[in-house]
Amino acid sequence: MTTAIEIAPQPEVSGRALRAFLRNPAAMLASGFLVFVTAVAFAAPLIYPEDPLSMVARPFLWPGQNPQFPLGSDSLGRDVAAGLVWGSRISLIIGIAAMALGVSIGVVIGATAGYFGGRIDDGLVRLVEIFQTTPSFLMLIVLVAIAEPRVESITVGIALVTWPTIARLVRAEFRSLREKDFVTAARGLGYGHLRIIFIEILPNALPPIIVTSSVIVASAILMESALSFMGLGDPNRISWGSMIGANRETLRTTWYLTAVPGVAIVLTVLALNMIGDALNDALNPRLSAER
Amino acid sequence: MLHLKSVVAATAAFFLSLALGAPVAEAQQPKHGGTLRFVMKYEPPTLSALNNTSTPTTSAKIWDGLVTYDPDLKPLPMLATSWSVSPDGLQYTFNLREGVTFHDGKPFTSADVAFSIMRLKAGHPRGRGTFANVTEVKAPDAKTAVVVLSKPSPYMMVALGPSESPIVPKHVFENFDVATPPGPPQHIGTGPFVLKEWVRGSHAVLERNANYWDKPRPYLDRVIVRFMPDAAARAAAFEAGDLDLGGSAPVPLSDMERYKSHPRLAVDTRSFAYTGAQHQIFFNLDTPILKEKKVREAIAHALDLQAIVDTVFYGYAKVSPSPISVALTTWYDPAVQPRKFDVNIANKLLDEAGHPRAANGMRFPLRLLYNPFIDARLAEFVRQSLRRVGIDATTQNLEFGAYVKGVYTDRSFDLTIESLTNVFDPTVGVQRGYWSKNFRIGLPFSNSAHYENPEVDRLLEAAAVEIDAAKRKQLFSQFQRIVHADAPSVDLISPLEVIIANKKIRNYARGAEGLGDNFADVHFVD
Repeated sequence: MTTAIEIAPQPEVSGRALRAFLRNPAAMLASGFLVFVTAVAFAAPLIYPEDPLSMVARPFLWPGQNPQFPLGSDSLGRDVAAGLVWGSRISLIIGIAAMALGVSIGVVIGATAGYFGGRIDDGLVRLVEIFQTTPSFLMLIVLVAIAEPRVESITVGIALVTWPTIARLVRAEFRSLREKDFVTAARGLGYGHLRIIFIEILPNALPPIIVTSSVIVASAILMESALSFMGLGDPNRISWGSMIGANRETLRTTWYLTAVPGVAIVLTVLALNMIGDALNDALNPRLSAER
Repeated sequence: MLHLKSVVAATAAFFLSLALGAPVAEAQQPKHGGTLRFVMKYEPPTLSALNNTSTPTTSAKIWDGLVTYDPDLKPLPMLATSWSVSPDGLQYTFNLREGVTFHDGKPFTSADVAFSIMRLKAGHPRGRGTFANVTEVKAPDAKTAVVVLSKPSPYMMVALGPSESPIVPKHVFENFDVATPPGPPQHIGTGPFVLKEWVRGSHAVLERNANYWDKPRPYLDRVIVRFMPDAAARAAAFEAGDLDLGGSAPVPLSDMERYKSHPRLAVDTRSFAYTGAQHQIFFNLDTPILKEKKVREAIAHALDLQAIVDTVFYGYAKVSPSPISVALTTWYDPAVQPRKFDVNIANKLLDEAGHPRAANGMRFPLRLLYNPFIDARLAEFVRQSLRRVGIDATTQNLEFGAYVKGVYTDRSFDLTIESLTNVFDPTVGVQRGYWSKNFRIGLPFSNSAHYENPEVDRLLEAAAVEIDAAKRKQLFSQFQRIVHADAPSVDLISPLEVIIANKKIRNYARGAEGLGDNFADVHFVD
């Protein structure tokens, strides 16, 4: 067992990369913000024990008008602050779960195609192309419309339209890595395919996957928001997108109802993208030096 | 020099007389000319109401009816100049207008009336009910039509307006399929406007009919009907001055306040007897938990109807607590009042019915559906009201086809928020929702509750053939009280029509038909 680790080069997720990430002020700021959002999402039942969809206030309170409802209330008298706090849960749950599912599918298919090559590769590339040539958001709408719009079906839907990106990436990495000396050596030692794929090659292919994953979380949050905005979200759960969709009719008069969740989406997605950039810089030092 | 001065003076005098004379002339005689830009939310498959109930407004411009109505549903002459009903209510004689021609120049006769009524009976979604008892339409001479009935049909006389029962030319429709939506070549009527052009997905142009029988009407040169499904686009077009008129709340209600103080546009919030708009919740009485009357009453007590009017509809609705809409002023019984909004009563009733709250505060789950043409905020309001008393209600967003299938075919619902409009008469618009014989799987907008009460059936059947208006009102009053007590439905509100109109146009909705007016009298003022 130990010999294998000696053969394979150490993955680049090393102390150097971590230090580079920690020295990036933008990345630290973005990470701090995400930690805050995650903490809020976990604490939602403690901060607002009541259902965030219940009608608790006079409709159309402006932010600050009543200290009990610091961010105001919407057209049915729902507390915007409670909605914002509970909405972060849906955004994060869907973002992370869809990413995890999409990356798992993508890695398995991409690794299989890249490692084995030949007919298996041809077949799987065709499959990826089928998914990639269909406009992904349209496909998502169709998938969610066929299944009942619920958190689970939306998560699966987003995963189904995002995995091809990961699959292509992983396949390309595997194709370039499979002829490397350490892989040949592993084959020479008689290791099985599964072990070579997951223990020898995958750790070396991880850096671009990690970078892309953070961007996928961001795009999953955006897709959920867009679905909810169009009324295809889970109607019984509040999300940032559904808050914008429900209140866009009153954009001219009570703009804060769309602005508040809108800013939350922008900041979260921006933070995830900044982290993606910082990870890219940290994990690909040559690339960032060239820039 | 002198010559020029006199010309100037004469010209000035001429214009002065025009300016002074104008207001007087306007009071006596509306001015001719102008283009009215009218907006519809959805593009219909045909502009005709012959076999389609979604197009009353456009149909009335192209085809006349036998009669039209004043705001209180009193019939006024249109293609029929006078009429009489036999004492047994089985024979209606219409004397028809002389000298009326169709847009293609052919004369209008009693044969067209006979053909149209039989065609409406065969192909119109409501006409099948309205004219069900018509056995034949006799045409003793070219200008007399006699409708013969097997049973009295007291609602028939209010179903003859141009927006509901258009009179079409027999020679055009004779060989035309009953169920196919009429296309532009069939858009030939006797009405004040002639279809000139129809660009699918965009607009239709209706030109003035110079040979209209009601001279000097119509005053307008043309009406442009624009189809705009997006509320924001309609609002922008009104703002930009590209639209003059639109009904059924053409801009979001939340925005209406701004239009009230608009320099160029006016908000008109009347309710019209011909539509009888009504929103109600039907219980699925096949759901075991909803078989208990206490549960249904508890749900009624949990709903604050005035709050629905004020928040969901921004005040553009009326509380309408009876199965017959308050918009039908003739038939609504004011003795029927909403159950008192009181969360404590609701909780108490649910406790008594044996449904205590579980640890999570909920008693039992219910599936709440809603007709997608209704504002989703009403469904959210109802859902949250029910959750407050411990009913774990969940809503589902369904598109129209899936909704109709879910409620009327699969019956996969516990509560549904419907807008079963009462149209112009309870026999035509209300009976379908409560008559036990109209519980028919797969038939849209039928008795979705599966409500069965022999006494209610008797009252509805008696009212359908009662020709004495006072007795009929009595029957409908009893019907309303029994249904309200039984609570197979919770009747909520009646939305107002909400028209936005250019302040310079007049007479766009003279009678009970609202914007189903024929627009012959519409004119611009300066």
